[in-house]
Parts: sequence; structure tokens; C-alpha cells
Amino acid sequence: MQNFPEQQLRDAVAIIVICIGLLVWFNAGFFGHELLAQIAILAIFAMSLDLLAGYSGQVSLGHAAFFGTGAYGTAALTAIWGWPLSVAMPISIIITAGLAFCVAIFAVRLSGIFFLMVTLAIGEVFHSFFFRVRVFGGDDGLGGIPRLDLGAIGIDLLSPISFSMFTLITVALVYWGLSYISRSSFGAVISGIRQNESRMAALGCKVRSYKVWTFTVAACLAALAGSLSAQHDGFVSPDLLSWTASGEVLIVVIVGGMSSLVGPIIGAVVVVLLAHYVSGLTNYWMFFMGLFFVAVVLAGGQGIYGLFEKTCRRLHNVKR
Amino acid sequence: MLFEPTFLANQFLNGLQLASLLFLLSVGLTVVYGLMNFINLAHGTLYMLGAYIGLSIVRMTGSFWIAFLVAPIVVAGLGAIAQATVLRWAGNTDPMKQVLITFGLVFIGLDAVRYFWGDYSYSIPSPMIFAGTVSVWGEPYPSYRLFVVGLGLLVFLVLYFGLERTRLGAVVRAGVDDQEMAVALGLDIKTAYFLVFCVGCGLAGLAGVVAAPVLSVYPGMDMSVLILTLIVVVMGGPGSLRGAALGALLIGMLQTFGQVFVPALASIVVYMLMVGVLLLRPHGLLPIRAK
Repeated sequence: MQNFPEQQLRDAVAIIVICIGLLVWFNAGFFGHELLAQIAILAIFAMSLDLLAGYSGQVSLGHAAFFGTGAYGTAALTAIWGWPLSVAMPISIIITAGLAFCVAIFAVRLSGIFFLMVTLAIGEVFHSFFFRVRVFGGDDGLGGIPRLDLGAIGIDLLSPISFSMFTLITVALVYWGLSYISRSSFGAVISGIRQNESRMAALGCKVRSYKVWTFTVAACLAALAGSLSAQHDGFVSPDLLSWTASGEVLIVVIVGGMSSLVGPIIGAVVVVLLAHYVSGLTNYWMFFMGLFFVAVVLAGGQGIYGLFEKTCRRLHNVKR
Repeated sequence: MLFEPTFLANQFLNGLQLASLLFLLSVGLTVVYGLMNFINLAHGTLYMLGAYIGLSIVRMTGSFWIAFLVAPIVVAGLGAIAQATVLRWAGNTDPMKQVLITFGLVFIGLDAVRYFWGDYSYSIPSPMIFAGTVSVWGEPYPSYRLFVVGLGLLVFLVLYFGLERTRLGAVVRAGVDDQEMAVALGLDIKTAYFLVFCVGCGLAGLAGVVAAPVLSVYPGMDMSVLILTLIVVVMGGPGSLRGAALGALLIGMLQTFGQVFVPALASIVVYMLMVGVLLLRPHGLLPIRAK
């Protein structure tokens, strides 16, 4: 019996989505480019959470903490201390990795609902830290963040056109990297941990250290997204780290379809476009997002891509 | 000034008052967790709804006491509706699914409150009998706050004896101890769970009404309190009534005295305590099941 080509389908859909992004890029106006960059940044952030929640099964409600530290790290290093962005970006990601590692060491002792509650509380610690500390602008936030200088190879990222392309390429790279991880032995182990933790432990796998590393890698990618977002907006505020931010990205992952990597990209497209059009019609956009989210979870929680994959799987089986 | 006994006594009472509110909130969550391994993330939303519904009732009738009695019942009713519809449709095979649904309800509730009551901050005046102050070591102290402390204590005693001495309490305890065995013995865990869930929702609503004269009523009050409540539940040991009381007392005191002595670090101190407790005792201070 021929197996269902799960990975090939995902890659194909991801390539199609990114190509649509390119098509849009060629035809978009100023606002289109802004929207495209916003979708791309959210997609990276959501894919990082998918690695954590969808693959290793650690559903976090505090992931925005790392998005925020990436953004604040970039902002503080460039706008306050005047470092060049090409140094500030990797450094802020490394700082986030260190913090995430420390958090993970104790957070991975818990699982399921406990993990969710504790990450929510940790997210609030980060939020209240940036909200209080005056060096980082407190509740006023911090502005004046430059964008990466690629002038050496003749690209001016200050224009929204090249910046949106830059984010689009980053999405493609992150997708490629994460799908590589998910197919590697590391990916197989963390999937195994999600499906049956005690069995993996019985097989002699160091469950905790795998969980810590997954958490750290996911936090690094979130920091990358945060750093891009700081460059995109030129401004950071504690709102980036609030529980609503963590909640929204979890919604993006679940609406798009967990543990598929391409699902979160689709989720980011749907949620940003919906947010854009619905918030034009009503002030109460979160109400409708909440309803939509509850509906998706009730429908089985597979999300948009999950349903698509299920349909394809059925068709594949019918053909045989 | 900071170490005067009267000042410290006042802060101690403030801590007790916060502990009392946190206890009202966490007790529903913790017992429901013990029965169904499910945490209602919309619990803070119910608290907020309790406060807002109380506000509307006070405006309509002018009486705090009507609000005090009616708002918790309305909130318990809303909880019952949510339980009977969306949470039941989700099925109880996978608690994570239900948790995510209640998380969606948080967003829905927040915007619903903004829609019906607006983005403003309100307050309910204290009821007439408790409008004044009483003297505590020579310092005036608002008597309403003492009423809140007394209410928390009363609810604790009622629930404690309810769980220890009544038939329903015995069923609930059996369900928490060993669900499968309790069901095999023919106990109606589902109904007990439904009742406990509704009572928990009602208590969250009660906490909202009672908090309204002390703290202000605003959209977003749900999350600030939910996080503290979750910490209480996790620290005390999920499922445990005494754990919830102990956790509420610890967090209430730490939060109050932290705000006074180290205002910049107060919230961080609370989280650090939780981290410490979880590292040393992953199942909480007073775990319900010995592991």
C-alpha cells in the first residue's frame, strides 16, 4: 500500500502559499506591502509556536514573552546603545535563547494544563518587567529602531517593498529549516514525546532535555519574528508581550492547523486579513475572533489545513 | 513609618481581604480541576461579569444587597449554559480542548463587556451598613473590607463542612480521589461535577460583586485576577480546598506586603514564589492525591 504523501503535500502547499505571496508582492501597493510584512512576521512567530505546541505537545500561553524579548533586545541595543542592527539582531536572539533556556529548565517539569498555566504566568512576568522598567521606556514603549542595512548588496530595506520581500524570504527559510527539523531524528523524538511521553522515557530517551531544546529553539525563532516586527514598526511597546499576544498566536496556530508548519502560515494569512477587514467593520473584532476560534476547536481542532489534509487523505484512499 | 504596628496591622487586613477574594475565585477552579482535570480559563471573565452585572443591578435597584444575591446566581447560570452547550459539545475526552474553548470565551467575554458597558472604569459604593470605618489599633479601617474577610472565611467554612459532612461532598471527594472507582460504584459524578462547576462560577461572580466597591470595575480586570488565581491553584495543589485557602492566604499577603515594601518587584516576587514552590513541590503545597 502506497502511503499518503503527507510531507510532500505540506511542502507543495507551502510553496503555493509563498508563491501567492510573491504574486501579491509584485502587484501590491504601499499598504499591501505593510500587510504582507505583517503576515510574514506573524507566520514566523506562529511556526515557532507550532514547533513547541504542535510537535512536542507543549501548549504555551506565554510565547509572546520571547517575541517581545527579541523585539526589545533589538530595540534597546540599537536605539539606546547605538549598536548596528546586524550585530543587535543575533545578540537579541542569543539573549532570548539564554532566557528561554532558564525558563524551560523548570517549565518542562510540568505538562499539559500545568504547563499552559505556568507559561501564562511567566509571560506576565516578562510583560510586567518591560512595563515597569524605565530604561526600556516603561509603558510608553521605545521608538527609533532602524532596519537591517543591506546596502552592501544594494538592497534598501527602508522601502516597504524590499522589506516585505525580506520577510517573505525569511518565512520561506524558517519553513524550510523547521520542516527539516521535523523530518530529522530530533523531530521524530519530540513527536514521540507528544504522543506518548512515558513510552519515550521507557525507551531511554532524555525527555526533559529534548523538551528544553525544543523550547529554546522555538523561543529563538519567536525572537527572530520579534526582531523583525521591531524593525517593521520602528517601535516596541509592552503590548507585544501581553497575554493577548500569546493568545492570538496560539489562535493562529490552531485555526491554521497544528503540527503541520504550513498550517500556521495559512492561519497567519487568514487571521491578519480577517483582523484587517473585520476591524474595519466593527470595534469588537476580538469577539468575532473568539467565536471563530471556539468554532474551529469545536469542529475538531484540526484547523484549516488539518481539514484540507483530511480531505486529501480520503481522496487518496478512495483512489486506491 | 513602614514598620509602625498600626500600619502593619492595616496592611495585614488588606492582605486578608485580597486573600479572601482570591479564595472565592480559586475554590471553584481547583475543585473542578480535581474532578475533571480541566481548568476554566474564563473564570476571570465570570468574575468580571459578576462585577458588571452587580453594577447594573445597583444602578437599577439602588441596593447593593440585591446585587450581592442576584449577580452570583446570574453568573452561575451563565456558567451552566456554557457547560451545557459548548463545553459539553467538545466532549470531555481531551481536557485541553475544553481549556482552549474557555480561552476563546475570554476574548468573547471581554468584547461583550466592552459592548454592553463601554470602556470606562466604574465603582459600586459600599452598602450603607458597611460604609463607615472601625477602629483597628486606633487607626480607622473601612468596615466593608472586614466584611469581605468575614465572607471569605464563611465560604471556606461552609464549603469545608459541605465537602466533609454532606452526601454531595462525599461524592465529590470520591470523584477527586479515584474517578474510575467512583463511577464504577455507581456514583453520579457527572451531576456532581455540573453542580460543582456552577457553584464555582457563582463564587467567581460573588467575588466580582464583592470586589467592586474596593477595586474598580473595568474591562481587563478579568486577566489580572485570573493570573493570580491560577497561581493560587497551582501553588496550593490543584483539587485541594485547603490548598486553595493556603495559597490564597500566601499570595494575598505577599502581593499586599510586596506592594508596600518593594513596589517595583511585587508581582515578580509572587511569580518567584510560585516557581520556588513548583520546583520543590511540583504537585503544590497541599496536594490532593499522594503521588
